[in-house]
Amino acid sequence: MMIYDIAGLRIDIQNRCKFTEKFCEGYLSDNQISAADLSVFVTNEEFYAEKSNPGNFSDGYIENICLYRNICKQLPNLDRFLLHSAILQYENEAFAFLGKSGTGKSTHTGLWCKHLDGVRIVNGDKPILQWKDNEFLAYGTPWMGKEGLGSNTVAPLKGLCFLEQSPINEIVRLTPAQAANRIFTQVLMPQDMENAEKTLELLDKLVTIVPSYLLKCTISEEAVKLSFEALTGKKYPL
Amino acid sequence: MKIKSGLILRSVGGENVVVPVGEMSKKFHGMITLNETGAFLWKFFAEDHTQEEAVAALLAEYDVSEEIAQKDVAKFVEAISQGFAE
Repeated sequence: MMIYDIAGLRIDIQNRCKFTEKFCEGYLSDNQISAADLSVFVTNEEFYAEKSNPGNFSDGYIENICLYRNICKQLPNLDRFLLHSAILQYENEAFAFLGKSGTGKSTHTGLWCKHLDGVRIVNGDKPILQWKDNEFLAYGTPWMGKEGLGSNTVAPLKGLCFLEQSPINEIVRLTPAQAANRIFTQVLMPQDMENAEKTLELLDKLVTIVPSYLLKCTISEEAVKLSFEALTGKKYPL
Repeated sequence: MKIKSGLILRSVGGENVVVPVGEMSKKFHGMITLNETGAFLWKFFAEDHTQEEAVAALLAEYDVSEEIAQKDVAKFVEAISQGFAE
């Protein structure tokens, strides 16, 4: 067992395969003595259920996926949750890009990195958000999706941008109800009552407090300019 | 008629959302959104009530005709009969 500092929590990860130790090494806590905020392990039942899914993955990889799922299921009661999205940081503000897989999250965020100076990828796929002191914080985690893009960092979340492919570029502000309808598919809904209720409470705060946009976009710098100016409220640098 | 346990109704960004928990989450994947009347009836049927009682409750709460209230309740009851009521 090892304790890792992830999303401002001390997490005791009880893995059996070596894979996870290597995978999480950048998050290993300097303090292995004090109590952990939460502990996770994977039951045989969970492991074999995951292994039965299509695809040929190593046992370490499968255990690793199950470990993160078990962490995330416990997060809502700790004022945190997993938001399936790509999160970028620009001048200490974080922005989340969301969309069904294949809509071009990594393409659009990749264009931000290409065209703008000082953009950092917080997490390319599976960041954790925390509700703290009346704002949301976006944390990098070791779990970053297939591209493995991200960093061990944290920044306040200042905008949500839902992406859709389109032949023309257009951005519109979404109401909290519109954002709510789009965000449910990007969240892991816990199956126990307490954590499920807490998740809905956190989502209500998220869509109410953080402004949301729908970006219909092509693969272009023009699309970057639109999302940049809407999200940051700043003029696009030339 | 009564809504089954394991379904929770919450307002998220002003949208009335129902999600399954526990055993129910294994049978039903996804979520339901309800309009204002739907959310009112959902809460009403959290306790065991008849359709007639629901019509009376709607009439007491909203400025609607009996005909509309009956139609709304009938539609709602039909919808929740698809596995969400007992």
